[in-house]
Amino acid sequence: MASTQTAQFAPHSAILGLSPARTRAQNFPNSRSPLPFPFDPSLWYLGFRRPPRAAGRHLALASSSAAMSQPVTPRRTTRATALAPDSPSSPPKSRAKHSPRRQLLVAAAAPDSPSSPPKSRVKPSPRHQLLVAAAAPNSPSSPPKSRPNPSPRRQLLSTAHAPDSQSSHPKSRPKSSHKRQFLVADEPNEANPLDALLEALPGRRAQATDLLRLLAPAPALPVLLHGGAATGKTRALLLALRHLRPSPRLVYAALRSLPSPRALFASILSQLKALSKRIPDKPSDFIPALRDALAGIVSQGELVYLVFDNLEVVRGWDKGGQLLSLLLRLHDLLWLPQVVLVYVSSTTPDAYYTMTGSVEPNHVYFPDYSVDEASDILMRGHPNPELYSAFLSVVLKPLFRVTRRVDELAAMLEPLFRRYCEPLGDLNGVPDEGIKRRLFEHLQPHLAVTLNETFSVPMRDSVGECKNGISVGKGSVKRQFGGRDGLSSELEFHMSVSAKYLLVSAFLASRNPATLDASLFDSTGGSDSRNRKRKSSQASIDRKDTMAEEMLMKGPGTFPLERLLAIFQCITSVSDDVLDEVECSDTTMGGTGMNALMSDVLLQLSTLCNSNFLSKSRSCPLEGSARYRSNIDEDLALKVARSVSFPLSKYMYRR
Amino acid sequence: MAAAPVANQAQAVLRSRLCDPAFVHSPLRSSPDTNYSKLKYLVNSSVSEACNNSVLLLGPRGCGKGAVLDMVLEDLKTEHPDAISVIRLNGMLHSDDNCATKEIARQLCLEHQLSFSKMASSDDNTEFMIDMLRECGLAHKTVIFVLEEFDLFAQGKQRLLYSLLDAMQTLTSQAVVIGMSCRLDADQLLEKRVRSRFSHRKLLFVPSSLDDIQRLMERLLMLDKDSSLPTNYVTEYNSRLTSIFGSKKFTGILNSLTDADATTSNILRFLFRVVSYMEMESGLLSMECFTNALSSMQRQPKMDSLQDLSILELYILVCMNRLEDKEQSSYNFNSIMKEYRSIQDAYRTSDKYATTVCFRAFEHLLDRELITFADSKGRNVALEYRPVKLLISSRELAEALKINTTCPAVLQKLLDRERYM
Repeated sequence: MASTQTAQFAPHSAILGLSPARTRAQNFPNSRSPLPFPFDPSLWYLGFRRPPRAAGRHLALASSSAAMSQPVTPRRTTRATALAPDSPSSPPKSRAKHSPRRQLLVAAAAPDSPSSPPKSRVKPSPRHQLLVAAAAPNSPSSPPKSRPNPSPRRQLLSTAHAPDSQSSHPKSRPKSSHKRQFLVADEPNEANPLDALLEALPGRRAQATDLLRLLAPAPALPVLLHGGAATGKTRALLLALRHLRPSPRLVYAALRSLPSPRALFASILSQLKALSKRIPDKPSDFIPALRDALAGIVSQGELVYLVFDNLEVVRGWDKGGQLLSLLLRLHDLLWLPQVVLVYVSSTTPDAYYTMTGSVEPNHVYFPDYSVDEASDILMRGHPNPELYSAFLSVVLKPLFRVTRRVDELAAMLEPLFRRYCEPLGDLNGVPDEGIKRRLFEHLQPHLAVTLNETFSVPMRDSVGECKNGISVGKGSVKRQFGGRDGLSSELEFHMSVSAKYLLVSAFLASRNPATLDASLFDSTGGSDSRNRKRKSSQASIDRKDTMAEEMLMKGPGTFPLERLLAIFQCITSVSDDVLDEVECSDTTMGGTGMNALMSDVLLQLSTLCNSNFLSKSRSCPLEGSARYRSNIDEDLALKVARSVSFPLSKYMYRR
Repeated sequence: MAAAPVANQAQAVLRSRLCDPAFVHSPLRSSPDTNYSKLKYLVNSSVSEACNNSVLLLGPRGCGKGAVLDMVLEDLKTEHPDAISVIRLNGMLHSDDNCATKEIARQLCLEHQLSFSKMASSDDNTEFMIDMLRECGLAHKTVIFVLEEFDLFAQGKQRLLYSLLDAMQTLTSQAVVIGMSCRLDADQLLEKRVRSRFSHRKLLFVPSSLDDIQRLMERLLMLDKDSSLPTNYVTEYNSRLTSIFGSKKFTGILNSLTDADATTSNILRFLFRVVSYMEMESGLLSMECFTNALSSMQRQPKMDSLQDLSILELYILVCMNRLEDKEQSSYNFNSIMKEYRSIQDAYRTSDKYATTVCFRAFEHLLDRELITFADSKGRNVALEYRPVKLLISSRELAEALKINTTCPAVLQKLLDRERYM
């Protein structure tokens, strides 16, 4: 997704001088909608093919009709049928085999995490696949979504992995034919594996023991794990399942990475090694195939745990309601007591209630971490625990008022901690009270900034300035980080001048009512409106209030292209005048500059649309012209205007 | 020291009991005048008298409709080994007519050792089914169609139901259609042409009475004397259990459990939790097992997730609640922010954050589904401008604020007294 977007940018950025990363960063406040599920392209390599058409109908074989006293007369025996090649025993295509692993990797490992295991490993065994899947969500807080800032994730994953290595299987092992061997080798405290498990799940003691109790001996009713994002549901579940002895077979389907029912069915069946050439696309084909596959495994005395992660995303699917009720009633449909169903959902169970009622699974609730638990988690594997705990004791409480998600906290804490350590020469020392106080005083201004931002954009320039800031001292740092505006004004807009003007004019067109254009941009109309404004009755004030309210609700208005171009022409001419006055440049220069500004407006416009500064609505069927809407907020518009020294506030209509 | 394996063993026995519907419903076999005996009589007579019949089993989910039917069919199969073939369909899988006829053809082929072709058309399959019904009728073999989730078959044109019930009108055929549904008005969903062909027999399944439930619990939890477990353990276990069952507290637990949901499946789920909470050192069930199980079944997910909110998220909820109290017809993130700002200006709290931070908190609330968008469309409108609404009541919010220890007093005040400020 991101890569395609970047590819789209490429030609324009050459013109605009935008670096893709920079564009995305600027773009971010406007494209707030969360990224869609990590899309797995490997699915499309599967090469879903239709099966060869086996011609034929029911062939009443001239069986001697064992069960019947009177044989059924065979109908149409003329065409002998080669049965469709979907017997479950036929080997799956080698290509199809690969997909579930990829899916798992995508599902569990963060798409951009640098520490995710290399995918090019030679032929991992299925067991290994699961381990990888289980190990990747190890970080108690790693979210499935991708984040703009990769560095905290790296840190997070590594902190989460580090204390784990004693209980989890090292992923660098060669083919796990020696499964038993390293189970023993990796768990030195085999005597009490439960303690190791609880150690690996900080703050989740009650939930883990609950889970073990509900899952443990084989016949078990379905279980639903629910709780907010980043509360360690998947991790606790996978670790608990790994803890079970004899180790059961785990079938793990992360629904977020399986974009359709068909992909889900394919993934589950291939994990059970029961994927025939024809992938079932209807539940009526899938359920018998699943039952056959599971019955085969169960008859060998193995236990199967069928895990459906991210259950909540199914509701958004096409016909998701039907699939959801199917998944939730799988227990009744299969009737295999040795198969335990586990659902993981970030929404509360009442999201799954249906009209006709449903048999509920047992719930296990994962609450958000408390302050102490969160600081425990954040402390794990830190090289200098004393220093870090002193840091956390100062910082965590105020941050906790804003968000309680450990993943977000970790992202906010990382740059803060770097600031905190700045005055220290030696990072390994144990701080005493005096140093702590000094460090806190140093940190305080930064803390206020961090509380008020959701993400930070690391930039070449500001990095350089930070370095200078250390030497210059506190005063300059304060100036630089005085507030959100102060920080953001450091942002440079790598946009051409005409794109900036276009952005400003689009902003004006969206905010101002079209009827006022004449009075705002025409010098004769301006005084007229000012006269009218004077006499404002109570009624008109009321009307204005409701209009303001409406504006708040509806958002920026739309405008046709003509209006945008007209405003663009007006404001560029105005500012040219200004430039002329100030710089006393000759008129021919101004004229050519103006022409240059107008030359590639349409190109700029499409660039702005593609980068989500403007959005283009569908064209009106009657008028046939598309309408545009500006997506930027006032702050950004003012900043852009300032960068071209255009007096935007003069032109904004204030109610 | 040997208690632990014994406890494991006992727990395994109890859990496999709870997961086995045949065991749970087995006492129905012996008692007269139950749905079991009625259904058995009905199907039995139509098998032996070679007539057609249809019946609906209605009742809420988890009352044992399927289990009773399974028991009846099992009994009949032993009584008339060659005279019955069962075709099972499920509304969730086969509500599509083509799919259903195909499945019927498949199961008929399987039953009669015929080879089945997947490529046969729907018409072929229907024709085949009718032919088979006639043949079976001539062979004096009863075909029993079990339609689970019957209400789902009644969607659409009901072609399957019509062709099934119509085929049963002929003299030659010999079939029983048994529908199961948790919609009590399932027979009202039928079209006129289908309804006129349906014999209006209905068996109603209701949740069992309190006495029955207690008896069921005793039967499920008491261990047998002549099992492989040590005798003195079994006696101790049973005596502990008897004293629990006799106590007043247990009656209270049972009452509050059945007040909410008295279906058998709910009871089973409860007992499953009880058994899971068994003390593994002694292998005995104590009163705490029962109380813990009850409290974990009676969680309120909304209240739980309200407790998980950060202060800022609570502020936003309170702002939304105030907006709803002002009877503002619809509001979005921007109007919430306006309210939030006015509160922050009035009280000068330390919890004044930038818009982006508030927006993230707002998104968290959306993720938790405590609030939701009030419109369904609006794909290209920015999230700030889409109208939202609360999914919790103000009472729940007030309660959550009261329980929350870290919640600032201002919030409480804003919610309670100064509502109309």
